[in-house]
Amino acid sequence: MRLDALFGYIVERLPELWLRTGEHLMLTGCSTLAAMSIGIPVGILLSRTTWLRGPIMGVIGILQTIPSLAMLVFLLALLNKIGVLPALIALTLYALLPIARNTLTGLEEVSAEVMEAAEGIGMKEYQQLMMVRIPLAAPVIVAGIRTAAVVGVGIATLSAFIGAGGLGQFINRGLALANTKLILLGAVPAALLALVVDFSIGAFEWGLRPERKRDKKGSAQSFMRPLAFMLPVALILIGSVTYFTKPGWIFKSETRFETSHRIIRLATKNFTEQLILGEMMAQLIEAKTDFKVQRRFNLGGTMICHGALVNKEIDLYAEYTGTGLTVILKHPVIADPEKALDYVTKVYHERFNLQWLKPFGFNNSYAITVRAADAEKFRWNTISDLQASAQGLRAGFTAEFAERPDGYPGLRQTYNLQFGEVRDFDPSLMYEAIAKGEVDVICAFATDGRIASYHLKPLKDDRQFFPPYYAAPVIREDILKKYPKIGDVLELLGGIIDDATMQQLNFEVDAKKRQTAEVVTEFLNAKEILYIEN
Amino acid sequence: MIKLTHVSKSFDGGQSYAVKDLSFQVRKGEMLVLLGSSGCGKTTTLKMINRLIEPTQGTVEVDGKDVMGRNPVELRRQIGYVFQGIGLFPHMTVEQNVEIVPRLLGWSSRSKRERMQELLSLVELPPESFAKRFPDELSGGQQQRIGVARALAADPDYLLMDEPFGALDALTREALQQELLTLKKQLKKTIVFVTHDLHEALLLGDRIAILHEGHLEQIGTKKDILNAPATQFVRDLFTTREPGTFTLRDT
Ligand SMILES: Nc1ncnc2c1ncn2[C@@H]1O[C@H](COP(=O)(O)OP(=O)(O)OP(=O)(O)O)[C@@H](O)[C@H]1O
Ligand SMILES: [Mg+2]
Repeated sequence: MRLDALFGYIVERLPELWLRTGEHLMLTGCSTLAAMSIGIPVGILLSRTTWLRGPIMGVIGILQTIPSLAMLVFLLALLNKIGVLPALIALTLYALLPIARNTLTGLEEVSAEVMEAAEGIGMKEYQQLMMVRIPLAAPVIVAGIRTAAVVGVGIATLSAFIGAGGLGQFINRGLALANTKLILLGAVPAALLALVVDFSIGAFEWGLRPERKRDKKGSAQSFMRPLAFMLPVALILIGSVTYFTKPGWIFKSETRFETSHRIIRLATKNFTEQLILGEMMAQLIEAKTDFKVQRRFNLGGTMICHGALVNKEIDLYAEYTGTGLTVILKHPVIADPEKALDYVTKVYHERFNLQWLKPFGFNNSYAITVRAADAEKFRWNTISDLQASAQGLRAGFTAEFAERPDGYPGLRQTYNLQFGEVRDFDPSLMYEAIAKGEVDVICAFATDGRIASYHLKPLKDDRQFFPPYYAAPVIREDILKKYPKIGDVLELLGGIIDDATMQQLNFEVDAKKRQTAEVVTEFLNAKEILYIEN
Repeated sequence: MIKLTHVSKSFDGGQSYAVKDLSFQVRKGEMLVLLGSSGCGKTTTLKMINRLIEPTQGTVEVDGKDVMGRNPVELRRQIGYVFQGIGLFPHMTVEQNVEIVPRLLGWSSRSKRERMQELLSLVELPPESFAKRFPDELSGGQQQRIGVARALAADPDYLLMDEPFGALDALTREALQQELLTLKKQLKKTIVFVTHDLHEALLLGDRIAILHEGHLEQIGTKKDILNAPATQFVRDLFTTREPGTFTLRDT
């Protein structure tokens, strides 16, 4: 990309970058402050009660070893909440260890001689602590806070997975859209922020140190001291100002919410197709009702979206029948698409008070896929058509597909297929391999944009081996009852997107790197849905 | 007056004693030197006087009152203590170190200031150039003087000095010893001075108490001890060295 284009790209996103940086600072700042207000007293307590030290430091240490994502998901389940709160709690728990440990070490390291003098000249216990022990331990304590804050900036990027915002939002979106520029837009500022935080707390510590006689009065150093002292405070101030003054113009695609408007909270998982479907539902609702849509896009996955829906943190998202059946309901595969939809509709209603609306039409299941040219040449239309020539074909599968019972092993039995050679691939390399002729058959996702861009052809699953993955909006029944119009509007999307159309939409965003909103608007306009009177 | 009566201290529940059956008095206005070799219990004895260590048996009285019946914080604020390791507060300036006890006692900032300047002059460290320095910006000898100034700050009646001139070269040490003698005349304090240096003991002590392995060998003036050593240990103390070097100055 040319430099001015890159510049334009950044300038265009500057307002949001500003907002996300503010959120990021708030997340890190608040959690570090919280960890200080717990960690320092705990450190002091432990320095005085030796027997508590083992157990408490043990627990804090174990918290630290929990992988960040696991911690977020766990807190999500525990609190029944998505957003800022679980993120703050997770960040606070991580910051606890360096702060408590350094407080303890710092207090312990104060020389016994000095403490004996403090006692011997007649200081009371709390005076010994406040006038001697803590001031002498301060540099070590601040070093702990510094570690905690810098690590916190890094971990805070994960908060976007559970809808807490921050710079991670760019990274998340970038990962979902396979867009490196977006990833960098989050990652580079996050790294810079870590440096700034590190520097400012370092400066704070320097400002804390007593002024030596040899630092002459009136010199630059003496002048800098109060400034250095103020740096972290300034940083927190900037963070809060940015956070609390979210001006309307910051939101381009994200709408500002006025209380006079009714709001629908719409979530998506974190991959392209989900973002397209989410944006499509959002645009339609906004065009045909007076609701505003709060877009809580890019949540970490199925369990997070479903959890948020059940806990009324969001109002709807698009789910796949196969996923609802096997992942949420833990039910064995039902091959018939109609029956699968009936089953999830019934059980979701009984168990969660959630309603499945009319599916969009496409089926994003596994698809045995060949080059379109070969298909034409050998007249392959269904998977059964491969039987005769299978021995002479080379297959490239993802490692997961090669092993799962509903993958190759099952496929082999159902269709009595035995490929001459099977190789494992990373999903993205798999498409490259078939395009370059290194393999002849792959297991694609039926709606993947690359099927179109690489001129591939998915074969019909004529024996209905693969479980159906029809996507449909899943919405809370109370919302539907209160605002039936929302349901009516969403029904307009029922059955209008077939596999090829979804492939094309994914292709526009994934491969052509176009804006999701633009692609969706174009599609809705072409279908003239926006103008249907209802 | 400080009075120890049959004082013993064991750190290991009675298996061994750091101080064993120690009895002596420090009279008002006198400087008593506790003399003995390393590990004989000098510091332990001193710390029992201001309750930094509590005796296992026996009683320690200050001004006729058992220290165990007194509030240790108040007791310590009335007794100046010069620590063996000096123990200046490294995060405080010389000024703050000297003012610490008056500050704990809640003096006005003006009287704290005056007192600090007076004391720095007394230990011959002019406040203009020393008040704002930190302990690590001082030489060893200067630090020891600040230690003395800090102990004197609240004008206590008693002064406990634990080898205050320990780690110094001979020249500086002699200068400080002379200073202390002058100070003593000016201040009229009751002082317990700990040393393992025979020469220092003879020079400074109005009376000398000789400790050996936790118990008292002999207590008395220089004359008593030199002329009539009470035990073989005391006799050996002087005969193993050139007697002349110790007696020249005083007899
Ligand atoms: N807190 C303590 N715990 C256990 N033993 C101690 C403690 N303090 C002192 N001792 C022991 O008591 C004995 C006397 O110690 P003390 O510090 O009184 O000696 P000292 O005469 O001051 O020696 P020095 O001239 O080396 O300072 C030593 O054997 C020492 O090991
Ligand atoms: Mg000692």
